[in-house]
Order: sequence, then C-alpha cells, then structure tokens
Amino acid sequence: MIMIAYYIITAFILFLVGWNFVREKKKPDDLVLYLLVMVPLLLRLLRVK
Amino acid sequence: MKREGLVKAAMAGAFLGLVLWGGPPLFRHRHHDVPIIKGPGVTAVLRLSDFSPRLKGTAGDTLIFVLQGKEPGGKALIMGNTHSNEPEGMLATLVFIENAVVDKGTLYVIPFFNNSGSRNTRPGDGYPLYFDVPTDWGSRQFRYGNRDASPLDQWPDPDVYIHYPDGQLLSFIDVRNTNRTWPGRPDGPLMERVTFGAMELIRRDKIDVAVDIHGAETMFPVTNCIVAPERSVKIATLASMTVKAMEGFENHVEPSPAGFRGLSHREIGDHSDAMPFLLEAPIPFLDQPTGPKTTRFLLDGKDPFLLSLSRKKKLFVPYDEGGWPLEKRVGQNLSVTLEIFHQFSKKTAARPIVVRGVPRYADVVKNGVGRYLGDPAKAVAGTVVMN
Repeated sequence: MIMIAYYIITAFILFLVGWNFVREKKKPDDLVLYLLVMVPLLLRLLRVK
Repeated sequence: MKREGLVKAAMAGAFLGLVLWGGPPLFRHRHHDVPIIKGPGVTAVLRLSDFSPRLKGTAGDTLIFVLQGKEPGGKALIMGNTHSNEPEGMLATLVFIENAVVDKGTLYVIPFFNNSGSRNTRPGDGYPLYFDVPTDWGSRQFRYGNRDASPLDQWPDPDVYIHYPDGQLLSFIDVRNTNRTWPGRPDGPLMERVTFGAMELIRRDKIDVAVDIHGAETMFPVTNCIVAPERSVKIATLASMTVKAMEGFENHVEPSPAGFRGLSHREIGDHSDAMPFLLEAPIPFLDQPTGPKTTRFLLDGKDPFLLSLSRKKKLFVPYDEGGWPLEKRVGQNLSVTLEIFHQFSKKTAARPIVVRGVPRYADVVKNGVGRYLGDPAKAVAGTVVMN
C-alpha cells in the first residue's frame, strides 16, 4: 500500500518536472536539469531501477 | 518559438536516448535467470514460500535444494547470497548442489537466499552486472548482485529500521538486508518474510546446523573467520583448529555479539534449536580504497592499493601479490562447512551428517571453482532449474 502511494508520488513529481520542462522558455541550463532529474523517476516508474 | 520547440524536442530525444541506453541492461540483469544443475544428491526442490506463504509470487521467493541421505541423521541448512555481492557463498552452495551426495542426514541448500538482492546492483560503485567463472568446458555466467534487496521489490525504506521483535534501532538500509531482518515475521516487510521462511524451515524440519556463507572486506576486522554464538562456539573452534592443522589455512572464530540484533548467527540460535555459523571469507573487491571494480578483480582479488596498505599493516588478513582469489575463498568455505558437519557428527553421534563428493580447499585452489560446475547445456534433461 505504501509502495503504491510512493509510485503515485513519483508519477506526480515526474509530471510536475515534465510540465516545468514544457513551460520553461528562457534557461537552457534548467531544461537540462529538469531532464536529468526525470531520469531516475522515470526508471523507477517503469520498474527498471 | 519554432527554434525553441526544436531545441526542446532534441533535448527530450537525448533524454529518452539516455533512458533507453541505461535502462535495458538493468532490466535484463533483473530478469536474467541462472541455471542450476541438480546434482546426483538432489532429491527435491522446494521454495521458500512453502514455509512463508506471503512470499509466493514475489522476488523474495527462492529455491531450496534438498539432498536427503540414504540413512537418517542430522539436518543442515546452507545459505549463499544472503549478501549478493559476496558470490563465494553462492558458488560454494552450487558446488554442494551439483556435486554432493549425502550418505547420512539431510542437506537443505539455498543458493540465492536474497533473490531480490541478486537482481539488484550498485552502479555508484561501478559494480559489474555479471561475472563469468572459467570452467573446463567454457564458462558459467552469474548475476552480480548487491548487498541489499532491490527497492523495486521493497520500497520505500523507513528513516530507521526498527528490528522485530527486539525493537533495536538499525540503519534504514538494513530493512532490505537479509542479515539484519532475522528472525523475521510472516507479514512484515519482504525481507522479514524471507528470513521468516528460513526460520520456519529450521523450526519445522528440525535443522541442527545452519551455515550462512558471506564475504568480508580485508580492512574489516570480522573477516576470514567463523562467527558463532555461545552454543556453536565449541564446534566452530574445533573446525577452525582442524582446517588450520590439516589444510593449512587460517579461519579464526569470532563470538556473535548478543546485543547486536537481526544477524543470522544471533537470531537463528535464539529462536530455534539449531546451531548457527556464519562464514566470512576475505573479498578484496568489497574494500573501498581499490582500483576499478572489474570482474577480473572480483575473481582474482588482486589490487595494488590493497597491496600497499598490506605493507603498512592496515589489513586484517595476509595479502601479497597473489591477491585473494575466488578459488581460495570458495575452497575455504567448502572445507570449513564440511568440517563443521564433521565436528557436529562427532559430538552428536545420533544425528550424523555425512557428505561426500564435495571438494576441499586444496582441490579448489588447485583445480579452480569451475572444475566443479557442470555445463547446463549438456546436463541430463530435466535436471536444470532456473533461479
């Protein structure tokens, strides 16, 4: 049950970071950072790592 | 606007490329099964979930190989891969499964005790995902795992692991460490269900001797030893003295601390009638001040930084240009385990454990571990199981 909740939290954070990536207009550095932050979240959501 | 969209698309493409480049090797490692040949002594293959039903269908479930002797006698449990980054235990158990014939008593062998841990890795330490053991016919490939279970199977970790039933506060990571979750409980976190399954096996089948095989850093004081609680210390001492006198290698005895909870050598003895023993062979690969963590280093145990530290007397074991190769580590695990059975049988004549067909230290050092591992491709049909 707790594990499922954490997967939901992961998906939510992934959505937020992804949304920020889409909305970001000016700072290319931030774009890269958003993508890097998303790597472990996506791998966990896909149950790879 | 159009240019911005192109830049974002290119970056998103690079991101997906990174995920696709890094993800599949980890996915394949997690789903890579290892073939095990049922040797001449194997009479049954059970699952840990037979003793801990809530393990069924989870990555915590694992195989138990039963080698029942022709004559009744004592019963022993041997566990490897409690920590899956210490493969000399797993390899020693495979040598038992593929070679041993039990004349008296019964052996229960669990080669991948922390099955989830064996499907985990430690990329931050540059761990290889696999390693190959050379054999007379080619090589056998094995997963190289991690000390702890995969977070994919047990997640999230608590801030502090509160040991059951003693309530001792342990490090958060120990909730995934099957040498801290003994004696376990049937409905606890997954790793507690794993150790509970082993405890149930020990209690229900009246196991006399439980041997948990590990490896430890050369810079860690509890290495190259047999860890034994009060009830096992006499047999451990006799085994240690015998292998030193007869086979020429050191393996001293360390007392199991009564105040440190969750360890197999402590909890098995406190929650059953079995005598627990934990074997530690030195594995230089686990030390921190070393060169790259390559599969070669994992096998030969040779490292120039450890050699330098050895000359400064910073290690707890003798260390020279020869390193501490896999053959020595597996060989000493086999000899010490056999000697524990021998000493137990002498002390408890009504419940002897007599095993033949298993090589001892000198044989493995001379011939290599691979000599005692069969070729799954050429094994008799129906004798290969995947774990």
